[in-house]
Amino acid sequence: MQRIRRPLNLLRTDRRRFVQAGLAVGFSLKIPAGAFAQDGKVNFYNWDTYIGEDTLENFTGETGIQVQYDLFADNNELFAKLRNGNPGYDVIVPSNDYVERMILAEMLMEIDHDKIPNIANIDPMFTDPAFDPGRRYSLPYMWGTIGIGYRKSAVDAPPTSWSDLFVSDKYAGRIALLSEPTNVLQLAMKAAGHSLNDWTDENLAAAEAMLLAQKKNITAFAPDNGQDLLLAGEVDLAMEWNGDILQVMEEDDDIGYVLPEEGGLLWEDCLSIPVGAPNVDNAHALIDYLLGARAGADIADFIYYATPNAAALELMDETYTDNPAIFPPPAALEKSELAIFPGQEMLRKIDEAWTRVKAG
Amino acid sequence: MAEGRQAAARRPWVFAAFALPSLGWLLVFFLVPLGIIFLYSVGENVSLTRVETTWTLSNYARILEPEILDLALRSVRIAGLATSICLVVGFPMALVIATASPAAKPWLLLAIMLPFWTNLLIRTYALLNILGTRGRLNEALGWVHGKLHGAFELVGLERLGLLEERFTPFTFLGTETGVVIGIVYVSLPFAILPLYSALERMDRSLLEASLDLGAGQLTTFRRVLLPLALPGVVSATIITFIPALGQFLTPDLLGRGQVDMIANVIERQFKGANDWPYGAAISMILLYATFILLALRAFADARRSAARAR
Amino acid sequence: MKRLHRRARPDAFDYSRRWSLRALFALGCAFLYAPIVVLIVFSFNDSRRGGNVIWKGFTTEYYVKAFGNEELMLAFGNSLTIALVSTVFAVLLGTLTAVLLWRFRFPFKPLVEGLVALPIVIPEICLGVALAIFFTQLGWMNTGELGWPFNLTNITIAHITFSFPFAALVIRTRLQGFNVETEEAARDLGASEWRVFLDILLPHLRPGLVAAALLCFTLSLDDFVITFFTSGPDTVTFPVKIYSMVRFSVTPEINAASTVLILITLVLTWAALRCQKTVKG
Repeated sequence: MQRIRRPLNLLRTDRRRFVQAGLAVGFSLKIPAGAFAQDGKVNFYNWDTYIGEDTLENFTGETGIQVQYDLFADNNELFAKLRNGNPGYDVIVPSNDYVERMILAEMLMEIDHDKIPNIANIDPMFTDPAFDPGRRYSLPYMWGTIGIGYRKSAVDAPPTSWSDLFVSDKYAGRIALLSEPTNVLQLAMKAAGHSLNDWTDENLAAAEAMLLAQKKNITAFAPDNGQDLLLAGEVDLAMEWNGDILQVMEEDDDIGYVLPEEGGLLWEDCLSIPVGAPNVDNAHALIDYLLGARAGADIADFIYYATPNAAALELMDETYTDNPAIFPPPAALEKSELAIFPGQEMLRKIDEAWTRVKAG
Repeated sequence: MAEGRQAAARRPWVFAAFALPSLGWLLVFFLVPLGIIFLYSVGENVSLTRVETTWTLSNYARILEPEILDLALRSVRIAGLATSICLVVGFPMALVIATASPAAKPWLLLAIMLPFWTNLLIRTYALLNILGTRGRLNEALGWVHGKLHGAFELVGLERLGLLEERFTPFTFLGTETGVVIGIVYVSLPFAILPLYSALERMDRSLLEASLDLGAGQLTTFRRVLLPLALPGVVSATIITFIPALGQFLTPDLLGRGQVDMIANVIERQFKGANDWPYGAAISMILLYATFILLALRAFADARRSAARAR
Repeated sequence: MKRLHRRARPDAFDYSRRWSLRALFALGCAFLYAPIVVLIVFSFNDSRRGGNVIWKGFTTEYYVKAFGNEELMLAFGNSLTIALVSTVFAVLLGTLTAVLLWRFRFPFKPLVEGLVALPIVIPEICLGVALAIFFTQLGWMNTGELGWPFNLTNITIAHITFSFPFAALVIRTRLQGFNVETEEAARDLGASEWRVFLDILLPHLRPGLVAAALLCFTLSLDDFVITFFTSGPDTVTFPVKIYSMVRFSVTPEINAASTVLILITLVLTWAALRCQKTVKG
């Protein structure tokens, strides 16, 4: 009977062929041969579009070290991924409160300052923060704020208080908040007049009540696209990162960014070396390069966030240095705060409060 | 259906040939990791990164909080609705593919699957593009409204007030409707494929016989076709409903964060809240419930076939 | 099967010829393809920001960007490779599981039936975390030194694990419509167990195998969560890459990349179908 013997045969040979083909595809698509060399490599895990266009190429050109560049999307993912153990990253870019968290969890390696001569370029304001005294485990990369993006024609005056988003119903149905529980609750506390780090049970309960009451006026808890909603005209006020709002300000002159009177949230993204990094020396080399004046300026010029690198700042022009969305006026800056890590216990309470807000 | 015809003991080598690879893989690469999750679910955080198994039930107890139960109910409701829609829409589509000519069949199958080879996130953003207040759907509906209104004016009917003066766009995003649409969109091929698999080259003589005996189209459909396709319907329901419960991207994006489902809570435990024991506990509850249901069903089936065999 | 003569009345079960059902099918397809069409159209949109929702103008620059994006292309290749390999294994294991549960009686069978369904139920993030811990304990995670095959192996194993129960379910459904008498007849005529499997059972299973393969391929190609947790440096897949790109701005580059992926998959499938035709011929 001329039957189809093939099904099973096909599977078996094809399986081998597939694997071979797959290997071939994998090898042919792999980045330059040098990547296999153990000593000429560094694994850099960064946020997307968070580096200059040619920065890494220039680094390789200068030092000969190949960079394996991978991307992650938020701090929580970074932490969850590294929690079990480091799958092989050499340099990572956590935000300040996550640096604090990782130091507590003993996930970061001490940085040898002797290997980083460019450390001298860092602005004194950033050399001894509370979350990492003496900068033993992290070095600053970029900094910025979370504030209010708004549509100028839809408001009588630039918003002056967080209560416009959290309490008032003046802009009902035209408000977007972020979707990260910690950030939203922090700024709700600010709206209530407290420090955004004043994590007490009463403050948390008050913030939760505030949000539950305001929920009907909120259009969206936007994970990353609050600025898109603003641009599209779906909302008029958006709690957002300054860089995101800057991006849409380029597209639309009617959009502005402001830090309200209570101040906003200050954040700092840092370069760190996780424990278990396979290429520690190369990691130091990369960090040193990124802290250089030229590299810092290229990066700042491309991604338009504020640089903590004083030497790089000197190379930038006024459209950058005088931009109030990038470098907030001193008054607003003074009242803005860096977030601290609330501690595991408080994290649980924050999550429970947030679940109640979302379910309500 | 002749399930379970052969006792394993009678042909041990054949049985082993089938059992060892499949169950072996399941054991090593699924049950062992699952064991880790189970141990986490009865454990506690002792530090930011370590969990110790203390055999505590506190994680399970937290699930009984009212807001969790609310979210669970909402998830079941949304997933249930989405699954029903998928079955109702998917059955005719599977029927068409199953009865199409052999030349057309692969292309029809391909046509169904192709949208799903696009990344989920991108498809969801495309849905955002379509369902927004100024999205393509509202644009289209607004255009239709405008034309209708113009036609009414022409005929002088506008005074009847059938249509509003201005078109108010529908709100899909940020509502349960939007999330249901999103989940239906993501789940449709998962409903169609098992249905197709069951309907394909189904024994037509039975249908013919039914028609020859005088039953009408509809009756034949209801009392012959549908029961024959039942295993497919059951599989389709399982494959659609359960992953629908596990959706978190769709509620986040299409629900604009306003329509949280249980999977959002689970996701948060493993990420922001850093509470892996709790996340593990909620996941284990889902697993226990399904396991018990399926095992019971299998048990009942086995009893039934054993009874029939006697 | 060619018809030898036209029946006196239209085939009652020739549903694919019925206009009402064809219309329904077309409507269903319209629903499925609407976002895809939007996706493709907006891949030519000249808009850098704003979520790519408002049409600004026509440009093909994002296709150029997508092709020039080395990491994106690499992620592409990784995803396709993983999907192909894991589909093959998943369908294989799924078939074995399905036949196992369908044909045999053995002690604790209801237990096994429940267990086999669990990978379908488990929340993805839970399985991802579990596998990450598992692989770390085994020491398989930090294997950058061993080069390519091992890193993608973790992800492939993970994909096979969560997709073979789907395959088993679909194939088992197909088995439930099988007429055992054919099998028994073959055995009566002297065919060996193996022959029976190959020549009787497998051909009947084919639609189920095809459906299962399509399902597993889709599951693997689109997986983000589990892949995220089981991947390391140098093992970026397409969904993971897209996810991290989208976080910053939804540019038409992503749409362009997806359109290209669709085209490539289309071409591959067409080629596979052609191969099958010649083989069958």
